[in-house]
Amino acid sequence: MLKNVIEKTYRWAQKNSLWVIHFNTGGCNGCDIEILDLLTPRYDVERLGIIAQGSPRHADVLLCTGPVTKQTRDGLWQIYTQMPSPKYVVAVGSCSNTGGVFNGSDTVLGGVDKLLPVDVYIPGCPCRPEAIINALLTLRERITSGDKI
Amino acid sequence: MIEELFFLLVFPGMTFQVVCGLGFEWLDRKLLAMFQRRVGPPWYQPLADMIKLFSKEDLLPKGANEMVAAFLPLLSLSAVLTAGLYIPIAGFSPVSFEGDLIVILFLMSVPTLAYYVAGIVSVGIYSILGGGRSLLQFFSYEVPLLIALSGPAILARSWSVSGVMSAQAGLGPFILFQPLGFVLAMVGLIGKLKRDPLDIPKAKSEVVGGSLTEFTGAKLAFWHLVMNVQAIVGIFLLVNLFLAWPQMLHPLLTAGIFLAQCLIMILILSTTSSVFARLRIDQLAGLGWRILVPLALLQVAVVILMGV
Repeated sequence: MLKNVIEKTYRWAQKNSLWVIHFNTGGCNGCDIEILDLLTPRYDVERLGIIAQGSPRHADVLLCTGPVTKQTRDGLWQIYTQMPSPKYVVAVGSCSNTGGVFNGSDTVLGGVDKLLPVDVYIPGCPCRPEAIINALLTLRERITSGDKI
Repeated sequence: MIEELFFLLVFPGMTFQVVCGLGFEWLDRKLLAMFQRRVGPPWYQPLADMIKLFSKEDLLPKGANEMVAAFLPLLSLSAVLTAGLYIPIAGFSPVSFEGDLIVILFLMSVPTLAYYVAGIVSVGIYSILGGGRSLLQFFSYEVPLLIALSGPAILARSWSVSGVMSAQAGLGPFILFQPLGFVLAMVGLIGKLKRDPLDIPKAKSEVVGGSLTEFTGAKLAFWHLVMNVQAIVGIFLLVNLFLAWPQMLHPLLTAGIFLAQCLIMILILSTTSSVFARLRIDQLAGLGWRILVPLALLQVAVVILMGV
């Protein structure tokens, strides 16, 4: 009974307070600008409790943009391991989903899911800010019903 | 016994101050959002952030001193909560003695020193940079703040907050006699809280998260709570020292006036943090020692002449 209440409170809090960190794994900067739009007055995701954090230790959600290149692979892994669990990964944009037009290149591994467990994919080149907000709302639903806690 | 426990844990003590601190954070973020034409977070946002941080994994880098890192936020939190216990809320002060102003000022500088040590024990380049910056900032704002806050005490001839308040009941609010001291105390308070124009130790674009870069989970939650409670204690202290209203009125009216004064202080703090850009550390040291300290000494000289 008490355990149930605590778990529900934790899920409610995690759902309402998603702190994101943004990492470019080698993209063209297009999706990054769309992510920056989220924090501007027009889209204002702070009303959903979402804030951008500078340190991976403070973050819950890793927003990845761009295909994973051989150069950024170690950095991406390091940032992911520095985040405290429960943690979520969102692949923002077509390159991050599959490697996009860079897929098959010698220096590109492919999408982020080649390296990390991805929770939500956002297609688009670049994806619109509304799509990113929709993805974060999907993530909130997953937190309410998911297995990570 | 039960009465003392109530003072300690509920009304002027822990629960009241934690609730006020969370309320302060929400109001501050909401006001900042309004200045930027945003909607801003809902009222339960600080609470959700805190519970979420408690539910997260507790990590520290290899080589960090776990014991000290866990002890520091608790030490700072107990220091600021104790400081808040001695500050009269709307004229109500259950524990008060001659000289409690000095104790409050000492207890309120404990978190800054703990913040510095936190940067050193959680090994990380940004933590160490942030810790060093916080100590540099401490030396710049603390001296003018202490001189400015000693102005009301000298004028009232009493080093207790209640004594200063009862002196103001006769003379009128001290902001009329020492507007300069009030402004200096505000600048010092902003420096102490590491808020926006003086957020040099935790500047996100320069040192990521300052001393708290490597902190996660419950420790980070406690650090956030320390910052919020420190803000609310500082606001209560300044309202009592500079803006105390005559206490003969109806208690509810006194409480309403006190609340309105605190809200005005929060409005001033939010406006400054949204209007001004961050200073460099050398600019802050120059401002502190070349401008603020001479002005504070001038204010104290005027106060002493008034007393004669």
